[in-house]
Amino acid sequence: MRKQIQQEIERLKGMGAAYVDTRWYPFEEQEYLLMWNGNLKTTASARESGVGIRVLYKGAWGFSASSDLSDLGALYSKAFDNARVAAERVTFPVRLAEKDAIQAQFESPCKINPFDVSLDDKVAFLKAMDEKLNQEGVEQRTSDLNFIRKQIIFIDSEGSETEKLITEVFSGLRVSGRDSEGGSHERKFRLNRRGESRGWESFDMDYFNENADRIVKEMNQVLRADDCPKDKRDAILMPGILFLQTHETIGHALELDRILGYELAYAGGSFVTLDDFGKLQYGSKKLTARADATLPNSPGSFGYDDDGIPAKNTVLIDKGILIGAITGRQMVEEANAKAKKHIFNESGGANRATSFYRVPIERMTNINIDPGNDGTLEDIVKNTEKGIILDGEKSWSIGSNREQFHFATEIGWLVEDGEITDVVKNSTYKGDTVKFWNSLSLVGDESTTEVQFVDNCGKGQPNQIMQLGHSVPVCRFDNVTIGE
Amino acid sequence: MKEQILSTLRELRAYAVEKGYEMVIYYHEEDSYLMRFANSAISLNTNEHLVRIEAIAYDGRKRASYEMITDLNEIETIKAGMDVAGEMVQHAMPLTYDPTVPHLEVDFIDDKGYDESLAKLSNEERLAYFNAVAGKLESEDIKLSGIFSNGTNTLAQITTKSESVQYFKTSDAQVTAVLSHEKLKWEVIAEQSAQQKSELDPMVLNEELAFLVERYQTEEPEQIPLGNYDIVFGPAATAEMVRFLSLIGFNGGLMKRGYSFLNEEKVGEQVFSEKFTLTDDPARMETFPFKQDFSGIDRKLYSLFEQGVFKGFIWSQDEADEFGADPTGHTVMHNSFVLNAGDHEVNSLQELVAQPREKDILYIPYLHYMNIVNPSQGLITGSSRFGALLLKADGSVVVPYNVRLTRSLLEVFGEKVAWLSKKTVAYNVSSSYGARNPTSVIVPLFMRVNDLEISHSNDSY
Repeated sequence: MRKQIQQEIERLKGMGAAYVDTRWYPFEEQEYLLMWNGNLKTTASARESGVGIRVLYKGAWGFSASSDLSDLGALYSKAFDNARVAAERVTFPVRLAEKDAIQAQFESPCKINPFDVSLDDKVAFLKAMDEKLNQEGVEQRTSDLNFIRKQIIFIDSEGSETEKLITEVFSGLRVSGRDSEGGSHERKFRLNRRGESRGWESFDMDYFNENADRIVKEMNQVLRADDCPKDKRDAILMPGILFLQTHETIGHALELDRILGYELAYAGGSFVTLDDFGKLQYGSKKLTARADATLPNSPGSFGYDDDGIPAKNTVLIDKGILIGAITGRQMVEEANAKAKKHIFNESGGANRATSFYRVPIERMTNINIDPGNDGTLEDIVKNTEKGIILDGEKSWSIGSNREQFHFATEIGWLVEDGEITDVVKNSTYKGDTVKFWNSLSLVGDESTTEVQFVDNCGKGQPNQIMQLGHSVPVCRFDNVTIGE
Repeated sequence: MKEQILSTLRELRAYAVEKGYEMVIYYHEEDSYLMRFANSAISLNTNEHLVRIEAIAYDGRKRASYEMITDLNEIETIKAGMDVAGEMVQHAMPLTYDPTVPHLEVDFIDDKGYDESLAKLSNEERLAYFNAVAGKLESEDIKLSGIFSNGTNTLAQITTKSESVQYFKTSDAQVTAVLSHEKLKWEVIAEQSAQQKSELDPMVLNEELAFLVERYQTEEPEQIPLGNYDIVFGPAATAEMVRFLSLIGFNGGLMKRGYSFLNEEKVGEQVFSEKFTLTDDPARMETFPFKQDFSGIDRKLYSLFEQGVFKGFIWSQDEADEFGADPTGHTVMHNSFVLNAGDHEVNSLQELVAQPREKDILYIPYLHYMNIVNPSQGLITGSSRFGALLLKADGSVVVPYNVRLTRSLLEVFGEKVAWLSKKTVAYNVSSSYGARNPTSVIVPLFMRVNDLEISHSNDSY
């Protein structure tokens, strides 16, 4: 197969292609189990294999994919033909940033392959969780397991060949109940980074039991709570909501294809312009954010991207100043040319596709916020006169240029004079992105940091779901509008 | 091809029966073409031909499924997948209710929605269409983005309960054209949905875009004050709110799980404005309808709200099994929602802008990134996008920066509805997540709702 791929790549080069690459997935398997109120509603398994071919011809991309490998030649010809037609409407001929040819392998850390674990064991785990969640106040309870394992072989016309074996493990618990007025409230727990690997070994029963009890207790507190006041308060965001704030208003806003207008037909653009790099005070001096694909054991760490670029740790915002973006080979060249200056030195290694039949685009890796020096959560609370602690994503809506947002959270705790007082329900907050990050006043230390996994980030047309991570500490933002 | 699909399904069924499996076998084939534009260039030109086969095995109250991306010639691979499902179900846990295995009484074949000339549009035709849409509207600063997506969707099903089959085949096209200013960052949109090639007309989009571009080029954008406005929603915004209503309103399963602002006691009550009549109407071809659902129930006109009175929930087979309800023919990949027309004469945005008005009207064509803040209250939030206009009472037009609306559907579709236009359109709401599933909602071209609060107003794009 590899030889055949090489031959076809050479054939297209002979026809005038400037660049050709192939992602061959010998297999991708997925298993998903969902338990809902004692019912194993979903026991689903899936498997697919195939190739995706990308061709650059006269400055334009063509792509073709199929699971049917019986006529590879026709598939390569189709990709070439798609590029040939696309070349009829080119405004900025695609150029790819320089890279070194590499021969490399990557395997995500996994001690016990979840696909080697029996279905009986997985069902037993969900049954135990379901029973654990079945407590007073709980009307709806779900627990789920989601496993992905895929082998990706990448070969390009520049002499690179990489092979990856990626294993992903996601799991969550969720409970909901109704307050005295009939309002529904929920609380969730999601398995995040624990230890140095993510296989079946992630399923520590004590850890899950402890969190099951916690979310039931907190949900019951919410059911008895008053509504979140309409107010302006200092908002202390726990990692369970800050990951999403970071994802939506730093991660997506700094995808270079969005900044350059490549997502305007659907996902949207970005308030960030090329002139902003090196100048824009994106946040307060306490904010340092990075795209770190080298973070061990996270879905945002994948060894080599789908341009064949090794994983990188790129600073995006340095002490509040915007300096970097989430980039692949194509966009850095275009951005530098359009800005008429050298903003980006090289690809950030963030070009990824969700499957063999989708084309790679700029995707988040691990978009992280560096821990600070403002102590523990207790220290932050102690230093807050009038605040609210928020946790758990319930609803999120962001402006099309990522310029403003509205979030609802599962739970809020009011803070008065350095003490946590009441739990509140229906907690929400909103703001303008740049003003909000500039109001960052306290950043928790390493003890407050958690790596949260995201298994469903959507982008692109046709849409692509991607897995990634966020390492974030507890942070406080001043004078935030809440309760609206 | 149809015969090959059906004969293969029958062969697979025979294999399942021979092995003693109780099984449903789904077939999904998509032939998809997508030309994507950005910065006035073709940024991606792609095609995908994918065949998915899903085997759902039942064993009494136990159920398990296995899905493959494969092709029809890989019969042994497919059988191996069926064996996996057959093995998995033995290890599944029994449900607390009896799941119904579909029993198809007779063959049901529906390919009336297929137009080969639309499905097989060439690369050159897609490009010519988009060139016509852009017309002379592009410039050094104004760039074209968008998609031209077309293809064929084929679904088929057989079960071990009978030898009868279901077969659905449809063609579809979804077009989105966006013009945006590279420096000023405004963006305007025009869209089209087609089930037949004859429904494609690039000049309609060109005219809509030309009208909006002229406004945006000549007017300075403004941050409009917070407060209450009379709002006219365009079809994209209305269709999106109807889609959310289908999630947190009249879905029986979600209601039972606490994710609805309606309940069984509301059936027969006045919930929305008398001007609000919503049905699920599989006779409307523009919605790429399923005329029979996957449990074998013939789908007919289903009333959801009649002059604002709530008529009842929809129930898929599985949710009906679980909650002891009667299935309503809603075990489908998508429904065919139709929000009835009103009596207001307005046939285009140009006409809306030209109509006399007693007070300011905020026109919101599109709500971006809508989400559910509180399902129990029907509370949703989203931001305006793509060419909002503030139509001043004195006849002038202001271009506003985007605004956020966080309101309950009870309010938006309630007594504050002032009018719905006589003219309706099929608005394409197809999601490109997962398997191809062309979907559209028929809505009035415009819907006016008075006195709605804007909770956030941008000071820039």
